[in-house]
Amino acid sequence: MQHLKDRRNRHRIACYQTWEAQLTDYLFKKGYEKGGFGPVAWPDRWLFRDFLARYQSSIGGQESELLRELYLSTGIHTSLPRRLRDRDAKVRAQAAKEIAAFRLDEPAEHVPPPVAERPWRWKPGLRMEGYLDQVLPLLNDPVPFVAHTAALALTQSRNLKFAAPVLAWVMREELYQRERLLRVLEGFGPTLLPWMKEHLESPDQNPDPWILFALLVGSHRHRESQPRLLWLLDIPNVDLRASVLKALIILADPSVYQKVLGFASSPAWEIRTQVARALGVLGGPSAVPDLLPLMADPVYEVRRNAAQSLVDLGHSGVSALTWLAEDPSADRFARDIARERLEWADERGHL
Amino acid sequence: MTRRWPAQTTVLVVEDDQATAKIIQVRLEMEGLRVLVAANGLEALEILDHEKVDLVTTDLMMPAMNGFRLVQEVRDLPPPKGRVPILLLSSNHSEQDMVRCLAAGADDYMAKPISVQVLVERLWRLYERSHRAG
Repeated sequence: MQHLKDRRNRHRIACYQTWEAQLTDYLFKKGYEKGGFGPVAWPDRWLFRDFLARYQSSIGGQESELLRELYLSTGIHTSLPRRLRDRDAKVRAQAAKEIAAFRLDEPAEHVPPPVAERPWRWKPGLRMEGYLDQVLPLLNDPVPFVAHTAALALTQSRNLKFAAPVLAWVMREELYQRERLLRVLEGFGPTLLPWMKEHLESPDQNPDPWILFALLVGSHRHRESQPRLLWLLDIPNVDLRASVLKALIILADPSVYQKVLGFASSPAWEIRTQVARALGVLGGPSAVPDLLPLMADPVYEVRRNAAQSLVDLGHSGVSALTWLAEDPSADRFARDIARERLEWADERGHL
Repeated sequence: MTRRWPAQTTVLVVEDDQATAKIIQVRLEMEGLRVLVAANGLEALEILDHEKVDLVTTDLMMPAMNGFRLVQEVRDLPPPKGRVPILLLSSNHSEQDMVRCLAAGADDYMAKPISVQVLVERLWRLYERSHRAG
């Protein structure tokens, strides 16, 4: 068994070495005008696919188009519909990944001759359409990593016709998982945000997708969506408000300070925790008087965030913390957290 | 515009993915450049110690020493080595990363997947700018 593996590995290395030299000629020395890449043995076509896929995440532009043409010329793509329904989960996931990596739903712009003459050779001008539609059912795959790979393939296409099914797939997950899946939705790019504004149900009826909206505004730093964030802040939902505040912290627009300050006395600690961070970021040194009451909050998270905001403000914030830490008449909670954060900052050389 | 690289202009390509490094190396060599390849930041610093390098292009995510740290280390070197133009390549497109890298002293930033043609053009611009600045 080991002997067989070693032999395969040696063969793979030998193939890769040969192909690497051929590939650079093909890409840069107009190899595609002189009759193609050269023959690839029929049993090595899967190896060749893996070889080409290695470049897809790092090489773009014209070279990427040429790599795609090479892939198409192997004819492997014709087996994708079958592989997407294979019994083996790894094969299904690999097929979805392949469709995304080689962007099979896009038309080819450069059509070099195929690797070798074959009956199924890639015909110039033929548009490869509909592969991603076949990936769509994999969102319901019982194996989580297959569904995840399918979602990634769909979002990487940046085609918003897949936004609704991918969003529905994310919404089927638990709330804590959804934040993790935000990376998948980010693949659509910031154009997903206007789509969400237009297509999501009202936040009064269904606030959950709007939580993702707020978090996406933050991750894309989409300042154009700030008015919608402020509107969402008026929806009485704790998780939604906390997510909106997180996004406002990232956008860091001081003009929303007063609106955020209004939530400093919210009964929900999750909201106060975010407010404690937001005030420091949005208000600068002038936020010190508003942060001090939060230092005496009954919830530790809120106190810690308020103290951290004061540390981050520099001289004015640290002076306030030092005064609190040394004032015997100050609230015990406030005094303790002030001391804790000052020690923390001192250990890290922030003072 | 035609690029006229002076003879023996040396580019250090720091990239842990050998396949990508090879593609970049061949393309730059076609430009008439001398290309040195390092697999991580530590190897790059060693090369910089012994060789005269005119331009550096580095990946961000690498084992042993990442691109961000490499930029910081290079900028701590005495001139002229410490002033070598650096172009960062990264597959992480976050604005935060870009700002962090440029603040650390990188001269330019490109998000992967990169077009090798654009990379050559950016390197040329960096070279021109650094030579005009003296």
